[in-house]
Amino acid sequence: MGRAIVITSGKGGVGKTTVTANLGTALAQLGHSVVLIDADIGLRNLDVVMGLENRIVYHLVDAIRGKCTVAKAMIKDRRSENLWMLPASQTDDKDSVTPEEMRSLVCELKHTHDFVLIDCPAGIEQGFKNAIAGADEAIVVATPEVSSIRDADRVVGLLAAADVPARLIVNRISQHLVKRGDMLSQSDVIEILALDLLGTIPLDDHIVATTNRGMPAVLEGKSLAAKELNRIARRLSGLEVEDHATGGFFTRLGRALGLSATPA
Amino acid sequence: MWNAVRGFLSGKSSRDVAKGRLHLVLAHDRTGLEGGRLQEMRQEIAAVIAKYVPIDADAVEIQIETRSRETQLTVSSPIQPRNA
Repeated sequence: MGRAIVITSGKGGVGKTTVTANLGTALAQLGHSVVLIDADIGLRNLDVVMGLENRIVYHLVDAIRGKCTVAKAMIKDRRSENLWMLPASQTDDKDSVTPEEMRSLVCELKHTHDFVLIDCPAGIEQGFKNAIAGADEAIVVATPEVSSIRDADRVVGLLAAADVPARLIVNRISQHLVKRGDMLSQSDVIEILALDLLGTIPLDDHIVATTNRGMPAVLEGKSLAAKELNRIARRLSGLEVEDHATGGFFTRLGRALGLSATPA
Repeated sequence: MWNAVRGFLSGKSSRDVAKGRLHLVLAHDRTGLEGGRLQEMRQEIAAVIAKYVPIDADAVEIQIETRSRETQLTVSSPIQPRNA
């Protein structure tokens, strides 16, 4: 039985879809069987971020209405083994699907895949309720800005009320701005939202270029953001990844040998 | 260097300002209390305190603060001395 994880944020434009596309690709590259669901009915975008927009025939609403099988609506990503995407409909609206229908769809997919990643629409209305309905856990994406954190906080409250455990990804951190005192730090965001941290993704120009091409950055894998996304995927799948806070191998070795006086 | 100069002039970095604003905004968001309702509550609480001890109702302050996911309501009221 697989795990269903919803990627959500409250506010739009903070990187949910990019995180979904990259984590899905990274998990598939780790050998897991993954399906990505675009739950943003009416404003789909996971297809273009994944570069699969030209291959859509059926979509999520078709599958739920029984116009086609779920398997038929899914698009196989040829660049990664074990990776599929279920696109949203662009012509229906959020009310055309109920939370119960989403829950049974996600449950069905959990039988055949290790990970079901659900890309949640912005907002906290019907689309959000549908997206979290079948989720076992949630990833809250927030950028270090007042508006993003405020909206993320609403979402954290709603997830808690729905009994969906959540972890945090801080997106688009610039260490340069944090040092200058002009950006909230990773620990500021953690402290305010009081969530466990899954990872921190740096602000990185490579993401703009790879998104232009419709190619998830982790497929190239060289950029700083891609490296972090790969680490997050490893952490998600339960593989041991050392934390920033605990330092790298040599730091930990030094500490073990008593060379470092202060734990980071 | 510029940062130090600006910090000296304003006293606070924009990061600190953002943190302060968030703590305040979230405290209100989490309780669902709008500013008007909060002032109503302040007046009612002041009236209750005034029944027991002499106070200046205008000096009663009410504040919602948030740390982690705990939200705390604080009311502070200076009490006037007896036989004043």
